Amino acid sequence: MPVIEVADLVKEFSRPKQQEGAFAGIRTLLTREQTVKRAVDGVNFTVQRGEMVGYLGPNGAGKSTTIKMLTGILVPTSGTVTVAGTTPWRDRSRNARRIGVVFGQRSQLWWDLPLRDSLWLISRLYDVPQARFREKQRQFSEVLDLGPFLDTPVRQLSLGQRMRGDLAAAMLYDPDILYLDEPTVGLDVIAKERIRTFVGELNRTSGTTVILTTHDLDDVEELCDRIILIDHGKVAYDGAVDELKTRYAPHRELVVQTDGLESVEGAEVVRREGGKVWLRFDPVRTPPADLVAAVLAQHRVTDLSIVEPELESVIHRIYADRG
Amino acid sequence: MSALMADAAAKQPVVTLLRAHLACARMEFRAALTYRTAYLSSFAMMLLQIWLLTVVWKALYDGREEVDGLGLTTMTAYATLTTLQYHLVSPWRSSPIDQRVREGKVAVDLLRPVGFPGQMLAGQLGWASAAVPVLLVALPFALLIGAGQAPASTAAGFAYPVALIGALLVNQLLGLLLGMVSFWTLEVSGALMAYRFVAQFFSGALVPLWFMPGPIRAAAEWLPFQATAYTPAAVYLGQVEGVGIAAALGVQLAWIAALGTLASFVWSRARRRVLSQGG
Amino acid sequence: MRGPRVYLLLAGAAFRAEFQYRGNLFINIIGGLFYQGVGLAFIWAVLDRFGQVGGWGLGEIAFLYGMRLTAHGLWVLPGHQLIHVDEVVIEGEYDRYLVRPVSPLVQLLTRRVRLSSLGDLAGGSALLVIASASAPVDWSPGAVCFLLLAVVGGALVEGSLQLAASALVFRMKRVSPIKFAIDMIFSDFGNYPLKIFGPVAGFALTFVFPLAFVAYLPATVLMDRGEELAVPEWLAWGAPGIGVVLMYAAYRFWERQSRYYESSGH
Repeated sequence: MPVIEVADLVKEFSRPKQQEGAFAGIRTLLTREQTVKRAVDGVNFTVQRGEMVGYLGPNGAGKSTTIKMLTGILVPTSGTVTVAGTTPWRDRSRNARRIGVVFGQRSQLWWDLPLRDSLWLISRLYDVPQARFREKQRQFSEVLDLGPFLDTPVRQLSLGQRMRGDLAAAMLYDPDILYLDEPTVGLDVIAKERIRTFVGELNRTSGTTVILTTHDLDDVEELCDRIILIDHGKVAYDGAVDELKTRYAPHRELVVQTDGLESVEGAEVVRREGGKVWLRFDPVRTPPADLVAAVLAQHRVTDLSIVEPELESVIHRIYADRG
Repeated sequence: MSALMADAAAKQPVVTLLRAHLACARMEFRAALTYRTAYLSSFAMMLLQIWLLTVVWKALYDGREEVDGLGLTTMTAYATLTTLQYHLVSPWRSSPIDQRVREGKVAVDLLRPVGFPGQMLAGQLGWASAAVPVLLVALPFALLIGAGQAPASTAAGFAYPVALIGALLVNQLLGLLLGMVSFWTLEVSGALMAYRFVAQFFSGALVPLWFMPGPIRAAAEWLPFQATAYTPAAVYLGQVEGVGIAAALGVQLAWIAALGTLASFVWSRARRRVLSQGG
Repeated sequence: MRGPRVYLLLAGAAFRAEFQYRGNLFINIIGGLFYQGVGLAFIWAVLDRFGQVGGWGLGEIAFLYGMRLTAHGLWVLPGHQLIHVDEVVIEGEYDRYLVRPVSPLVQLLTRRVRLSSLGDLAGGSALLVIASASAPVDWSPGAVCFLLLAVVGGALVEGSLQLAASALVFRMKRVSPIKFAIDMIFSDFGNYPLKIFGPVAGFALTFVFPLAFVAYLPATVLMDRGEELAVPEWLAWGAPGIGVVLMYAAYRFWERQSRYYESSGH
């Protein structure tokens, strides 16, 4: 059952045109010329309940603009957004009860109050029954280890602690959908891992739909089955992570440590370094087992491994191709 | 002010330093123009204010030729002049410092090879100078709806620009001092509002000093604010003449020296605080 | 009754947060006192030189001023945060308000609390009580009732103007000059009997910029000077109702304009 439906979504922004040359400031001030920028240019997709989707794109591709329209912050120029049966910006309050939003850069918590107060306030704003709230708070305190800083004012928390607090606040009222915008930016490895584990667990146990935008593709590889790539305001790719790799990076590389390998049938030598040789091959035409057998038959090999392409390099290639 | 920049100046040739300050000023000038509807509307508001002030004074005079020896035309000319000056001398942002502190950008500013107070002063002057182009456009209209008057004498005509620059400097230094308070307390908006009311009143921008009752007038004369509005306007309209002009300019100069010294002292304390607390 | 409950909840949080900064509390209260002191000094200066203004003496003017100041304090206590609407919108804090099931305006008004507003209100009330005693008003229970209603109405008129100006932020990005200008007009012209400005300005300050409804019209009829008004007396008695109507209109305007919110960064 689709929980998010986006159809022909467009968002334009207009700005007074920036003039150049002498007296640029004053001429910009007086101009009537407007530059219209299409930040989102006809985006379509649907998300099923319980999916975890990575929504990716370079800066300025229209990523945040889309998320802001999904969450009801921005009103689309044209097209429709339906989230759990409602139009977010028109039915803002009802939509707000069904979604949790975590902006990595900006806290949702009350800056000058202890975390505990923020959580309590959120529970009251979302009409969470107090017994349920206490249970949730206990549960989150355990999983996210909030205990040590529940009574510290939010402004004194470290970034990692604050993110955990924000996640707890966003999930306190059991929303159907969780939007995460750069949830791990600026965090150390351990803090990142803790957040990923929490989100993964949440999706498995409560069936929460997760929409994740991030620059950290490890987040995506670990959490998401599906990614939507956006570029210049349009969807560049929408599908499974594995399929993206097969489609855009069909080659694998066999790395062998050996003595003087010149060439092998079905593979191409792409790099040599020390005693190591990198062989690129297409696993559909040359099954890996055959290739390995062929190499082992002719050479004395001391070490051998097959390298999968990383998501990051795949995505780089897509953007490079599209220019 | 030279003391304020001494640490940076010691290491650099004057030209480089001047260019750096000009860059700060130009940046803020452009920043002030960014929000154009607001920028233009603030001038429409200024014209409205001038018109309303002339209406108020005319109503208060209520047909009388003179009150305390002052004619209505002198009074409306005074109101027009102080309102025009006010936009140049006291723009609605009295200092960029509290904003820089709140946004945590002071650390970046301190890394620049130009002294911090110098940067802030140059920036604020750039911001204030954004008023100049529209002020020039607004001037004829202001004279039309208000009551324009030529300078009272040749001496007044020459002394006025000097007094105006003096007013600008006194106000900049006051703004700098006020802005530096934000190094000690982050939330200064309440204090800033209070400051604006007090400064505006005692500057003589609302009621000229000559109309103030004795005790208030005495207070106004001993405060620096009168140097920011009353002094140039009084010089222009010939309310102070001859030796009086020299005395008025002397008082401005004394305030510039006193406030400059105070600012460099406060800055030396503030810098220690910033360095030890990391902005 | 979810609305008022949520408001109190958020306002309570703002109060608790504010008490974390004791130093500011002191500075803000001093600020409030200065504001009032300057206003009084101004009136003193004018009346000292000009004697009467439009036939109104110190007692009458002080009563008018007390009403305006109390109305101002009554509005500023809940409404002060509108002054920060520029930064809230430019820096994207408004995003956060939109993803909560609470009116964004309520969240904006309760983002902080300025305790000096209490000082404004207390100072204004004190002045109003003192001035009321010396003003030529026949203090029947009905008159007292009307005074209270008029002060609330005055707060609503000032609030409606500030709210409407704030609503422009969604398109203009920076509206503080306009709001300063409104404050300016209030403080420069709100302290006089408006009839001294002549019929054109009087009309404008009643029907274009409704300053007259804040204090002048109700004060005039309370002091039984209705015959000097250029508008029918019933309009002056209806000032509190005008406040309600204007506030409602301003709120609708805010709601409509807020659809133009663009957020920051795309």
